[in-house]
Amino acid sequence: MKISSKARLAATLLLGAMVLIATSIGWAYAQVRAAVAEQQRCVEIAGALNNMRMVTFEYLLNRRERARLQEQAAWQRLEQLFAAPVPLDATAAGILANLRGQGEAGHRLFSEVDAAKPGTSAVDEVQRRFEAQLSSRILILQQNSLVGAEQLIDDAGERIGATQRRVVLITATGLAAMAILIGVAAWRFLRDVLAPISRLELATREVAAGNWSFELDTGSADELGDVARHFDAMTRALRDSFGRLEVSNRDLVALNKELESFSYSVSHDLRSPLRSMDGFSLALLEDYGDKLDEQARDSLQRIRGASQRMGRLIDELLGLARVTRAELKIQEVDLSAIAEEIAATLTRAQPERRVRWDIEPGIVVRGDQQLISIALQNLLDNAWKFTSKVGEAVIRVGTRHEDGGPVYFVADNGAGFDMAYSSRLFGAFQRLHHETDFPGTGVGLAIVQRVMHRHGWSLQADAAIGRGATFYFHPTERTEREDDRREQDHLAG
Amino acid sequence: MIEESKTILLVEDNPDDVALTMRAFKRSHLMNPVVVVRDGVDALDYLYARGEYADRAGAALPTLIILDLKLPRLDGLGVLKALRADPRTALLPTVVLTSSKEQQDLVDSYSFGANSYVRKPVDFVEFVEAVKVLGLYWLALNQFPSR
Repeated sequence: MKISSKARLAATLLLGAMVLIATSIGWAYAQVRAAVAEQQRCVEIAGALNNMRMVTFEYLLNRRERARLQEQAAWQRLEQLFAAPVPLDATAAGILANLRGQGEAGHRLFSEVDAAKPGTSAVDEVQRRFEAQLSSRILILQQNSLVGAEQLIDDAGERIGATQRRVVLITATGLAAMAILIGVAAWRFLRDVLAPISRLELATREVAAGNWSFELDTGSADELGDVARHFDAMTRALRDSFGRLEVSNRDLVALNKELESFSYSVSHDLRSPLRSMDGFSLALLEDYGDKLDEQARDSLQRIRGASQRMGRLIDELLGLARVTRAELKIQEVDLSAIAEEIAATLTRAQPERRVRWDIEPGIVVRGDQQLISIALQNLLDNAWKFTSKVGEAVIRVGTRHEDGGPVYFVADNGAGFDMAYSSRLFGAFQRLHHETDFPGTGVGLAIVQRVMHRHGWSLQADAAIGRGATFYFHPTERTEREDDRREQDHLAG
Repeated sequence: MIEESKTILLVEDNPDDVALTMRAFKRSHLMNPVVVVRDGVDALDYLYARGEYADRAGAALPTLIILDLKLPRLDGLGVLKALRADPRTALLPTVVLTSSKEQQDLVDSYSFGANSYVRKPVDFVEFVEAVKVLGLYWLALNQFPSR
C-alpha cells in the first residue's frame, strides 16, 4: 500500500471518529435538552396540581364563587399541560397518565361537590357527610397527584444525570479510539516512513564515502520503496561510470608514468652521445688542431656547436615537460620583484648594453612562484634578446586596467614580429626569426603559454615588425590546480 | 690498509664518458689512479673484494667514488644505498656525476647519502671545468676522518 493511501486512510478514520464524537455530543445535547424540558413540564404540572389543591381546599372551606372559578381555570391549565405533546419514556408516560386520571377524577368529584350545594336544599346530615367524604377523597387524590408529580420531577432529574453520564462515556470512548488510531498511525509512520528514510540517509552517506557496493534492496511497494530502488539504480550507474573513470584514470597514470620515464630517458640517454660528439671533437681540435686545415677545424667547431645546441634543445624540452608536470603551489607572488631580479641578472651578463627598464613596482598576483618566475624569465629573455639591435632599448613591465580586472604586460621596442604569424607564436620549436638574427630554440613562449594555461590565465601578444612586441596576461581566480583538485576529489570520493 | 694511493673509483658504463672523464682528469692535472668499473654490482664487488675482485682483500678503499646513476644491473641509487648501509663504506665520499637534471634524481641521491651531485654538461670545456673543481675539492681540499 502506498504511503499516500495510508495517510489518506488514517485521515479518513480520524475524521470519521471526530464526526462520530461530534454527532454523539449533539445527540446527547438534544437528550439533555429534552430531559430538561420534561423536568420543566413536570415542575409546571406539579405547580398546577398544587394550585388546584389550594383552590379546591379553599372552595370546600368557604364555598366562594371566586374559588370555584379559580378551580375551573386551574383545571384548564392542567388539561393544557397534560395535552402538550412531550416525548417521555414508558415509566414517565405511565405516571403522567395516572396523574391525568387522578386529576380528572378529582375534577369530577369537585363538580359533584359543586352540584350538591349546601345552600340550595335543607340542611341534611347525610348530604353533609357525603360532601365531607367527597372533599376528603378529592384532597387525598390531589395529595397522591402531588406525590406522583414529585416522582416525575425526580425521574426527569435522574434521566438528565444518566444522559450526562452517557455523553461523558461516549466522548471518552471516542477520544480513546482516536488516541489508539493516532498511536497506530504514528507507529506505522515510524515503521514505513522514518525507518526507510534513516536507511536512505545512511545509504547516501555510505555512497558519498565511496562505498559503491552499498544497496538498499528494499522490497516495499510504497513511494519510499520507489525512491530506494531509484537510489540503488543511481548507485549502480555511478559505480559503473566510476569504474570506467578509474580504468581511464589508471590508463592516464600509466601514460603519465611512461611519459615521465620517457623524459627521464631523454634526460639521461640523449645527452651522452652529444657529450661524446662535443668532447671528442674538442679532443681532435686540441690534439690534432695543428695538423688540420681551417675547413676541418671549422667542421669540428660546427659539430660542437650542433651538439651544444641540441643539448640546449633537450634541456628546454625537458623544461617544458617539467612546467606541465609540476604541481602548482598557489601563493602571493611579487611580479615586480621577480622582474627586477631578472633585469639585474640580464644587465650584469651584458653590461655593455644600454637598456632602459621600466618596471611598475608592487605588482602582486596569486600563482605558483616558480612557474611564474620561469614564464617571466622567458618573456624578459625574449625582450632582452629582441632589443639587442635597437639603439634606445626600452623594456616595460606593468599593469593595464580593463573591465575584466587588471591585465599585466611585458613590452619591448625591439624587432617585433608580423602578427600574421602569431598563430605559430606559442608552439614549441616555432620561430619567427632566423637563428642567425636572433639565436633561440623556440621553446620559450611555449613554456610561457603552458605556465599561463596551468594557472588558467590567458596570454595574448601584440606586435609589429620593427616596433616591438607586447605580451599580455590576464590572471583569473580559477586555476588549473583547483580544477585538478576538484577532479581528484571527485575520483577519490 | 694502505691509505696513500688516493684512488678514484669511477663507476660508469658508457666507454665514451669514461674516455672523456679520463681526459678531463688529465687536463685538470689530477694524477690520482683511477679504477673504472662498468656497473653497480662490479662497484660493490670491487669495494668489498668479492667475485672478480676477490684478490683485492685487504687492499685500500678508494678515496673518492664518482658514480653515474644510470647503470646496468644495479643502478647508482642502489649502489649508494648499499654503501651507506655498510659501516666500511658508510662515510666514503661519493659524488654523483650524471646527465640527469631531474629534480627527483637530485633528491634521491642526497637522501641516499651522496656527498655531491654534479651534472655532466654537454660542452666539454664546461665538463673539464666541473671535473677539475670536483677533483680539487674532494681530493685536495676536503678533510676526511681517518679510519
